[in-house]
Amino acid sequence: MGFVELDGVGMTFRGRTGAYEAVRDFNLELAEGEFFCLLGTSGCGKTTVMNMLAGFDRPTSGEIRLEGRPVRGPGADRGVVFQGHDSLYDWLTARDNIAFGLRLRSMGRGERRAIADRFLNMVGLTGQGAKHPSELSGGMKQRIQIARALANDPRMLLMDEPFGALDAMTRAVLQGELSRIWSENRKTVLFITHDIEEACALATRVGVMKRGPGGTLKAVVPIDLPFPRERTSDAFMACFRQVHALIHEEIHPHE
Amino acid sequence: MNSRAATVAGYLIGFALLFAIWHLASVFIVRSVLFPSPFPVFERGWVLIADGLLQESVWASMRRIIQGFLLGSAIGIPIGLAIGSFRPVRLLLEPWTEFFRFIPAVAMITVAVIWFGIGEESKIFLIAYTTVFVVVIATAAGVGAVGKDKIRAAQCLGANKFQVFALVALPATVPYILTGMRLAMANAFVTIVAAELVASNDGLGKMLWDARLFMQVEDIFVALISLGLLGFATDRVFRLLIRAFAGRFNPTM
Repeated sequence: MGFVELDGVGMTFRGRTGAYEAVRDFNLELAEGEFFCLLGTSGCGKTTVMNMLAGFDRPTSGEIRLEGRPVRGPGADRGVVFQGHDSLYDWLTARDNIAFGLRLRSMGRGERRAIADRFLNMVGLTGQGAKHPSELSGGMKQRIQIARALANDPRMLLMDEPFGALDAMTRAVLQGELSRIWSENRKTVLFITHDIEEACALATRVGVMKRGPGGTLKAVVPIDLPFPRERTSDAFMACFRQVHALIHEEIHPHE
Repeated sequence: MNSRAATVAGYLIGFALLFAIWHLASVFIVRSVLFPSPFPVFERGWVLIADGLLQESVWASMRRIIQGFLLGSAIGIPIGLAIGSFRPVRLLLEPWTEFFRFIPAVAMITVAVIWFGIGEESKIFLIAYTTVFVVVIATAAGVGAVGKDKIRAAQCLGANKFQVFALVALPATVPYILTGMRLAMANAFVTIVAAELVASNDGLGKMLWDARLFMQVEDIFVALISLGLLGFATDRVFRLLIRAFAGRFNPTM
């Protein structure tokens, strides 16, 4: 039994203009502690897969299980880091944002503060706890989101293109930080991206999706390189080329 | 000069310019007793303040506005929250708000006087009436505008429905509520004057009406300036409130 199991999962959206099959017969097992990147072109259904695992959408066919229990809705066992930073609470300080999940469980103020400060340190924002999100840069806001999800101590982390809106430099820095954090705590991660380099830099396995509609898993590539990863090494380049070839067929299917 | 001082200076100069133009217009263009220069008006205002009459009128009107406004907000906010949060409530109550908001409070004066007489109750009813619908609509719109990811994030952190409402939807809606209340306050000024013109024993509207009856042109202008200044001051207070509470809620406000 896998830690996470997606078993013949399909999702068909029904709208006024008819039905759209976003995901078809999606099968995947994740082991505990792995960092799985789901890579695909836009519109391939990768975000739909994440939304179903997060419990925001119910699959129209198949079943999703976390540690054997079927996923029926959103819950604290699956922390989510969203692409945009709209999900942060503007009226709370960075520290209170991070401690939000702890507050929901009526943890005492002192304990909450101690945990929040620990995670502020972890994401490199020591001393920034009193600031509000409007005072922080895009990269800092994504750090807060990661800290907020981790402070709640979920069983796994779901990340939907969390660095997609950042500039290339900030993105590379945050990828490095995320890799370091993951190496330390080994949370199971499902990371959605359309960036091949990002996938190869972070993942223990990369799943490449077929084009939509009816997106499904095309191939899974294990990336057996040590962390931190050397992006200019020959081994990294080889991985990049391998994944690139798979995704290239989806971008240019008629060549 | 810092920006705050510049703002204050700008406003002072702006007001001074307004009165200067008024003075010039009355002395050189209109030249009629029906359009006095600001100086006799200020003199008259000073007399009315010294006699305590102006304060009485201002307080009578403001008291009604504040009471009706608070009552209307207290009714409007929960209804707006309910409309924004629950679809059945929205379907049920939206026809009401869509219907009543097109019946202006001024049109309700007759009904209010028939129901409540010409005393305080009818004024408070009218102010509350004009406040409720603006606040309801703004609040409901605010609830509807809460970002989907904000709610989802809370759910993923383990929030139940009540926590999502109390800790996410409600605080995220506060700037909308305050903005609705600010708009309602402007309506309240329109309504109170109309109501006091038609039926009242005191207040700025009554002062306007009496001044017209006895051809006390200066008194009319004193009442008009008082309304302008009161409205201006109230709106300033609201802007400060919105900035204090909402500034950190929503940086764009």
